Amino acid sequence: MSVPTVEFSDERLPNGLRLIVAEDHLAPVVAVNIWYDVGSKHEQPGRTGFAHLFEHVMFQGSAHVGKAEHIALVQAAGGTMNGTTWLDRTNYFETMPSHQLELALWLEADRLGTLLDALSQENLDNQREVVKNEKRWSYDNRPYGTWNEKLQGHLFPPEHPYHHSTIGSMEDLDAASLDDVKAFFRTWYAPNNAVLSVVGDAHRAQVREWVDRYFGGIPANPSIPELGDLSLPPTLGAERREVVHDQVPLPRVYFGFRAPVFGDERLDALDLAGQILAGGKGSRLHRRLVRDERLAQDVAFFTLGFVGGASISAGWATVRPGVDVERVERAYAEELERLGMEPPTDDELSRAKALIEADELGALSRVEERADRLSMYATLFDDPGLINRMLPRYLAVTGEQIRAVAADVLVPDNRVVLTYLPAETAQIEEAA
Amino acid sequence: MTTGRATVIAERPVPGTPRPYEFPTPERTTLANGIAVAWVHMPGRGLVTATFVTRQGAVDEPAELGGAAVLAARAVTEGTELHDAIALVEAAERLGASIHAEASWDALTVGVDVPGARLSPALELLAEVLRRPTFPAAEVDRLRDERLNDILQARADPRRRAEEALIAAVYAVSSPYRRPAAGLRETVERLDREAVASVYSGMVDPGASALVIAGDLAGLDVPVLAGSLFGDIRRPAVMPSAAHAGTAGSGPAIDDRPLRRDRRVRVHHRPGSVQTEIRIGHPGVPRRHPDFHALSVMSSILGGLFNSRLNMKLREEKGYTYGASTGFDMRRGAGPFVARAAVNTEATVPAIQDTLAELERIRDGEVSDAELRAARDYLIGVFPLRFETPGPVAGALAGVHIHELPDDELSRYRTAIETVTAADVLRVAREHIRPEEAAVVLVGDHDAFGDALHAASIAPVEVIEDSLDMPGGPEGGDGSADAAIGGRDDGGMGDVAHG
Repeated sequence: MSVPTVEFSDERLPNGLRLIVAEDHLAPVVAVNIWYDVGSKHEQPGRTGFAHLFEHVMFQGSAHVGKAEHIALVQAAGGTMNGTTWLDRTNYFETMPSHQLELALWLEADRLGTLLDALSQENLDNQREVVKNEKRWSYDNRPYGTWNEKLQGHLFPPEHPYHHSTIGSMEDLDAASLDDVKAFFRTWYAPNNAVLSVVGDAHRAQVREWVDRYFGGIPANPSIPELGDLSLPPTLGAERREVVHDQVPLPRVYFGFRAPVFGDERLDALDLAGQILAGGKGSRLHRRLVRDERLAQDVAFFTLGFVGGASISAGWATVRPGVDVERVERAYAEELERLGMEPPTDDELSRAKALIEADELGALSRVEERADRLSMYATLFDDPGLINRMLPRYLAVTGEQIRAVAADVLVPDNRVVLTYLPAETAQIEEAA
Repeated sequence: MTTGRATVIAERPVPGTPRPYEFPTPERTTLANGIAVAWVHMPGRGLVTATFVTRQGAVDEPAELGGAAVLAARAVTEGTELHDAIALVEAAERLGASIHAEASWDALTVGVDVPGARLSPALELLAEVLRRPTFPAAEVDRLRDERLNDILQARADPRRRAEEALIAAVYAVSSPYRRPAAGLRETVERLDREAVASVYSGMVDPGASALVIAGDLAGLDVPVLAGSLFGDIRRPAVMPSAAHAGTAGSGPAIDDRPLRRDRRVRVHHRPGSVQTEIRIGHPGVPRRHPDFHALSVMSSILGGLFNSRLNMKLREEKGYTYGASTGFDMRRGAGPFVARAAVNTEATVPAIQDTLAELERIRDGEVSDAELRAARDYLIGVFPLRFETPGPVAGALAGVHIHELPDDELSRYRTAIETVTAADVLRVAREHIRPEEAAVVLVGDHDAFGDALHAASIAPVEVIEDSLDMPGGPEGGDGSADAAIGGRDDGGMGDVAHG
């Protein structure tokens, strides 16, 4: 069975809100998803982590919704919800039983229209503490938990907004004020900076009527700032290395590479390279490092796509006890290098494509995923139709394209190597 | 900057008419050898899930081979009489399929997700893996070593350490639930091909097995397919454990007794830790329990919903944590009830006190009508959302088989939740939440909160110097048995309250 085409409508309200609706009446379920075109890349110096802190404030109430009541109402309606912040965007979403769709639209409109009416210092302070505990839990008190912020710091220069992580720094979180919240909201949270997707058991005309009713009275912001030029040299130019002493029992070597931007077809080829290199136990890195030579406990390789200058290709190998860390690094690097020298076999390529096709079939069967993809492609590329064209793009990638992008990207002078060593081992080495 | 003021509609919309929803009724048959077959045709769901499940898991293995069932499941895809591991995975990938096998406390599952047009060849591979594994010694040794390394990793990770430490503090020395489903160092070290093959040979018992398939099955004759691939599996000659015969009600109860019946605090001291992982728990209830639905509602109110009492107190009022929750891990035996939070170090003692206070309060009086209604409406409303796609449908049906629940367990779920009253919630809270008997386990910096902890007089305090248990180095500080977080039953309905 091939992956079904997603049929959708695409229109704009007079205030600039982009509305995308895809009907699907298989299950009595509907997904609402809003992407705001604002992420951690829009943060000001000294205010890292602010876009994400702000996302938390969006659940603290608005003119007609109390603190934490947004979530209470969605859950009591039998729905699920969340919000996430990333470098390029912030999104908010609800999945509802279809007869509760109108409630989700009303809730999203109320906070977009009136968030500042309910804003208080007490709620900001409370969520600041919650976010600091999120940072401790997700990064600081987790083995290897700092790898992502360290890779970003090395792969992007200090003046580039991808240099800092989405979670930000404790100092900057402490510095965030009510005035920062107000300015951020007034600047970025406007209907003409948002894409609203509704997917599932709903009728387009009814959705439009409700969206007009609830969102229609929210004014546009006529002066949304343009981000400056985020372009970067395509490669780092020289290898960067860091050794991290951490509370870990096994060493782990992380690799990071500056990669083509999201949307560039070369990044599609790198995604396929990730499957060939580390997707399951038939993959090259797993076979060599984990199975055959038994150097590594586990391996990974993947891409994180961004639109502003460059993406990240990254991966790791966890070193087995008693194995020389440099030997693991060398074997890992050799496999990346080999992919740059000769194309994958036809069988490797067709297996990778068959898996991607099956993954797409599974992912797009969920209304929540479809809504998120439509919002994503509309926000980042002004092209929601990519939801139907990405799979054909993957299926068209050739072995030679994979080889070429591997030869350009997965090379030593475009590489960051982070080596995590057990703290005790490090002390012994320093004493020696 | 935005010009003008937003005009929004103050009035909350009222819900429309719910579209009728019934959990899809599976078609069923039983093969001559006793294997139950259940399948659900879900039109338009092109990615089909097929799961072979057998009611034999880690709880059934001999204690001295702890971890053998989990290791057997990991090793079962390492080669068959017809194909080596790489040939197998490549054959599956050409179909766009990946075959996965897991053993939980309660069950072995071997499953595949595959585009429906290729279900038949994918099921053939699944049957080959299930029926003809060779367990090559070198690969079993490698996977055993990977588990031993994983034990090191678990000890270093504060959240995994806390889960293991809690279960070791909760269950009696004789209980299997005191150990990780994937085994302890001392048992895993002795596992080899022979142990794995021997435990596995008893697990695939047709009388305790089911094949569940969900997705767009147009044009497929499931009974014929199932019969041809699984119909001649014979009952194993030797059962893996004398304790369990693997059929309904015929084995002795699983030993799920507590270590003690008084409250105590155990601190795993980690100098410099920026957070404390808090776990408060005691043995809970088995999945097949008459209070299941009332417990689901109670647990949602206490610590399941975002707006649960515990999360509202610890997160939204105090800001101590990114999230606090409670839950019952319902297994064939009484898996643990656990309250969980990771809090900044300074908040450790007040967070424990607030958590214990909420465990008391849910026992002190009836929940409000609003709380009751919100929890019931959530559980009823979210039910269709959970079953939008084939994977969860097959998983829920597998859970019904594992826990030997009635065929109509899923179709009557929403009605059963609807009829739970505030009096039911109070009764099950008083019966199944026991803060006076709970183990309080902390992984964090005792130097920072120790004085406050002793002054708070929560319970007698035991402090253990935690260490990373480095390979080749000294053993971890306490020498106590560890217990796993790996034993959750993916097929059951036990976690239904936790979205």
